[in-house]
Amino acid sequence: METDKSLAVQVPPLRRMTMGNRKKVIAFFKELGFEFDIARFDDRLIAQKIVCLLDLKGIDLGYTCSIYVRGPYSPYLTQDLYEFTNEFENLKTDSRLSSAEKETAGELGRIFGLKPVPLEVGATYGYYALRQNFDPLEALRHVKRLKPFYSEAQVALGISKAKEFLFQPTQKDLEDLKKETGIWQRASLKTLEH
Amino acid sequence: MQTDILSILNESEALNAKVFSLVRLKLLASLAALGFDGATYRELRAALDINDGVLFANLNVLKDMGYLTSEKITSEGKELELYIITPEGQDEWKRTKAWLCRFLHCGE
Repeated sequence: METDKSLAVQVPPLRRMTMGNRKKVIAFFKELGFEFDIARFDDRLIAQKIVCLLDLKGIDLGYTCSIYVRGPYSPYLTQDLYEFTNEFENLKTDSRLSSAEKETAGELGRIFGLKPVPLEVGATYGYYALRQNFDPLEALRHVKRLKPFYSEAQVALGISKAKEFLFQPTQKDLEDLKKETGIWQRASLKTLEH
Repeated sequence: MQTDILSILNESEALNAKVFSLVRLKLLASLAALGFDGATYRELRAALDINDGVLFANLNVLKDMGYLTSEKITSEGKELELYIITPEGQDEWKRTKAWLCRFLHCGE
């Protein structure tokens, strides 16, 4: 193997290894009623976690999230937030969401309510469970290790919201649930007979 | 593989030797990826699993060298310390990373 003498000047710049669809992200922010302000730390956090949760939900916005010290995160999104601040802050976009995308935005807003802590915990749990395929206990352990500064209650709430948003019950889940609750339903009907 | 190990080793003179500690490399690598966004003290402590004394001391060294800045921010009503890499810090990290790449290729 030959040594690449020019390596010292070949450090790839962080930007544009992927092309993020910022117009679409802005359309999601608009739909969510999210008034982004670059100066606010929590707004930058909310922006990151919204994009990562949508990514986990299967909506490709071109900003791939990986685990960094801040949990699931896209450095490319950060670059765009700073480079196109005016567009993000004034929700300038010509992109329109499909009805399915609008529905997903609605669910995200209803479940998480643009609150930084549940979004952060939820996105982190979702990343470990879906991207790394960890079982629920292992995913929980990783969330607690990365976010030890959140209380048990905050972690539990974030995870339950992530499950509500990201996981669709399978037919088997529904059947299991039916079996589990069937006993109680029958018992309560029997009580009514008396 | 033809390598001139001596010239690669000598190129290291252009680097800041004070960056070459595991904790400082971890901090620069972590913060370089986040750019202007930075990371809070508590996030760095948890993710990198560095104890308070070591973390605080090394963040201050990197600040004194002009590679990091810090500012107070408020998140969910709590006041936190945010650390951000400076352009000088980014440049030093890029130089260090490039040199490490060249150095490690020599080991193949």
